[in-house]
Amino acid sequence: MIFSLETWQITIFSLAVGMASTIVILPFGVALAWLFARKEWPFKSVVETIVLLPLVMPPVSTGLILLKIFGRRGPLGAWLYERGVEIVFNWKGVLIAMSVMSFPLLVRSVRTSFAEVSLRLEQIAATLGASPLKIFFVVTLPLAYKGIVAGALLAFSRALGEFGATILLAGNIPGRTQTLSLAIFNFVQTGKDAEAFTLLGITVFLAFTFVWFSEWLLRAGKKA
Amino acid sequence: MLLRCRIPLAHFELDIDVSFNARVTAFFGPSGSGKTTLLDAIAGLREITEGEIEINSHTLFSSARGIHQAPRRRGIGYVPQEGALFPHLSVQKNILFGAERNQYIGPSKGITVDHVLKTLEIDKLLGRPVTELSGGEAQRVALARAILSAPQLLLLDEPLAALDVALKERILPYLARVRDEFGIPMIYVTHNLTEVLTLADWVLMIRQGKLVAQGIPQEALRSVQTIAQLDDERYENVFTAALVDSDAPAGRSRIRLSSGTELFIPYLSQPDNRSFQIRVSADDILLAIQRPIGISAGNVLKGMIKKIEMADGDAILTVLAGEDFLVRITAAAVTRLGLAETTPVFLVIKTRSFHML
Amino acid sequence: MKIGRGTKTATSLLLASALLSFVPVVACADEILVAAAASLADVLKDIGKNYQSTHNKILLTLGPSNFLARQIFEGAPPDMFFSADLAQMDFLETNRRLEPGTRKNLLSNQLVIVVPAYSNLAIASPKDLLKPDVKKIALADPAAVPVGVYTSRYLATEGLWGKLKSKIVPVLDVRATLASVESANVEAGFVYKTDAAISNKVKVVYEVPLDNGPKIIYPIAIVRDSKKKDTARDFMNFLLSPAGKAIFKKFGFVILD
Repeated sequence: MIFSLETWQITIFSLAVGMASTIVILPFGVALAWLFARKEWPFKSVVETIVLLPLVMPPVSTGLILLKIFGRRGPLGAWLYERGVEIVFNWKGVLIAMSVMSFPLLVRSVRTSFAEVSLRLEQIAATLGASPLKIFFVVTLPLAYKGIVAGALLAFSRALGEFGATILLAGNIPGRTQTLSLAIFNFVQTGKDAEAFTLLGITVFLAFTFVWFSEWLLRAGKKA
Repeated sequence: MLLRCRIPLAHFELDIDVSFNARVTAFFGPSGSGKTTLLDAIAGLREITEGEIEINSHTLFSSARGIHQAPRRRGIGYVPQEGALFPHLSVQKNILFGAERNQYIGPSKGITVDHVLKTLEIDKLLGRPVTELSGGEAQRVALARAILSAPQLLLLDEPLAALDVALKERILPYLARVRDEFGIPMIYVTHNLTEVLTLADWVLMIRQGKLVAQGIPQEALRSVQTIAQLDDERYENVFTAALVDSDAPAGRSRIRLSSGTELFIPYLSQPDNRSFQIRVSADDILLAIQRPIGISAGNVLKGMIKKIEMADGDAILTVLAGEDFLVRITAAAVTRLGLAETTPVFLVIKTRSFHML
Repeated sequence: MKIGRGTKTATSLLLASALLSFVPVVACADEILVAAAASLADVLKDIGKNYQSTHNKILLTLGPSNFLARQIFEGAPPDMFFSADLAQMDFLETNRRLEPGTRKNLLSNQLVIVVPAYSNLAIASPKDLLKPDVKKIALADPAAVPVGVYTSRYLATEGLWGKLKSKIVPVLDVRATLASVESANVEAGFVYKTDAAISNKVKVVYEVPLDNGPKIIYPIAIVRDSKKKDTARDFMNFLLSPAGKAIFKKFGFVILD
């Protein structure tokens, strides 16, 4: 096992961008999950499928699609490039790749949590004079928040392990966009097994901690 | 209240067109006849294909005029079957959830928190987490919560259904108190005859989504035909009585019914000057064609058979003995004793067969 | 839900370290990004270090050549592309993503046959692979990966491809080839000489002579959309200089003249 400055830098970078991506997708994921769980609207199943796609498609395909959109020649990428903003091949690209790939996991978990909150409770709250906003913050959210946190942890773990989309959208630049997964790939390719296993160990440890904590929260939530 | 609505359900269409105006109106019928759906519609929690709902000339819903008032504006207190207390809030927070509602609609002005807590005897429960409440306590808390939101109408959906018989008997008086103390009109859904007879001033009988009968409970529910349509088959006699005197060592109290008939009931340890209701099951009354002697029963009443209705090997007799009493015996007994209309009979009722309401 | 102060502090620390962790890179003024096949990682790092001591900074982005070509095609930032085969470079040239006149064929490699380090198989030539005790041969996907493509062409010209095809186990890439041989799941494998050096659990039993073997070429070019063409040209010149060539030779690559 080799714990060098490089190892720490890669680990901290992965953790930081992973956390940032989870924070970024959290409000959208929660809002969308609520809309899925509680409302019916036109084209709902279409949106559900689109949200599910990154989970089902090979990450490389997702990465390719993102590259086409955000690359300098892509519709969104070109527009941003003209304004001096570049998304690909820097940490922003890593953030986007992680966000897109972990989003479906977040939405699924949170949706289930919301669905488990008895509709009856929300209805009674309405008859007692509560506005939809009050119902959401005083009834629905407190009862679902443990599931939301668990979902966020799951999404974060997924972000940490993300490879295919990341390498396509953000490249594999040591010191700049190299995450734990990309670094492991590199070390394996160049036969540096010791370094690879060190990083693998760190990844496994992190993922294990977060998933275990997430499951614990879910169980604690059910007892309540 | 005006209630007209059509709602397609899984197995039939709910089609009701009725107006009523009573202190407590019961929706009575077997499970699955659409009663809960009606409550949901009144509260605004349910889509109605076509209809009108009005309370006190105030329109809550009109498909014709495109009016649909949001649930939170209807001023309706809903006590659902499961109680639906907010599990993450304390008893106190639950009860006060709707208390900030600004509109005081209807007769619920002047209801204070203390008054409600005392009436329902839940003042000691305030700090407790909701998950530690017993079934009976939870129902009372749900009731308090609904009342304290200053509603113009209370909807109760089988509030006693989940409780065992002993608990039912304990909670029923609280409901009667709510009716008497707070003056908020109530709609009470049940498939239990006792509750209807005890609490309601008016009953709508609903079966398979249609109204089959309505009227004053004592009359509307007596017909065997009607009762045979419904699941619940306990025949209860319910009377209003006043206390005459009590005799502790003898274990009984004497009461007088409105017709002047006097009866012995089990000793009342906390006598009340108000009139109260007692009930006795039709299955607990014996008939004799001669005045019996040397028996333990404390009540023997002379009367006459008014009506005999036969159904499935049972005979339901209406006997006039000062009041009308419903008595159920076997068809064999009718034949054996040669009973018929206008036959003079004696009613034999144990003191202990009478129950308080 | 209350977020404890401890969590908040930890989060801020992590974010701060993350930002700090790539400040040194961002602070540098002139740097170029070179997209290169993973097998060139070590040699380019060494070259980069030598170059940096006197000039600008070199950043590498590594990956399979087809991924890199795809990214450059979509307008990704690399300034130079160092491919493991011609097909990817041709693809970019046809689609006018390369700066005209900058394409050079710099490196070549040597194809070798490897066996597990302790193996006793006597393989003195590719024909020996026909022997019955050679049951499986690992090769990076002969349809897509450069070393696989070159090997299949080579075996075809030797008249052996048809007969050996049933023994070939296509794997993901060079690393996978080495792994299969190391673990003795196959009796032999085809890799480049520079790759064989990575592992000490395999040994080279046959080196395909350079004149006989397939023309392995690592082309290099400057990307047309690059904003730093002058710096890129400077680096290219270093690669082509005797100093640069010496480093390539040190790592076992063959220089094309």
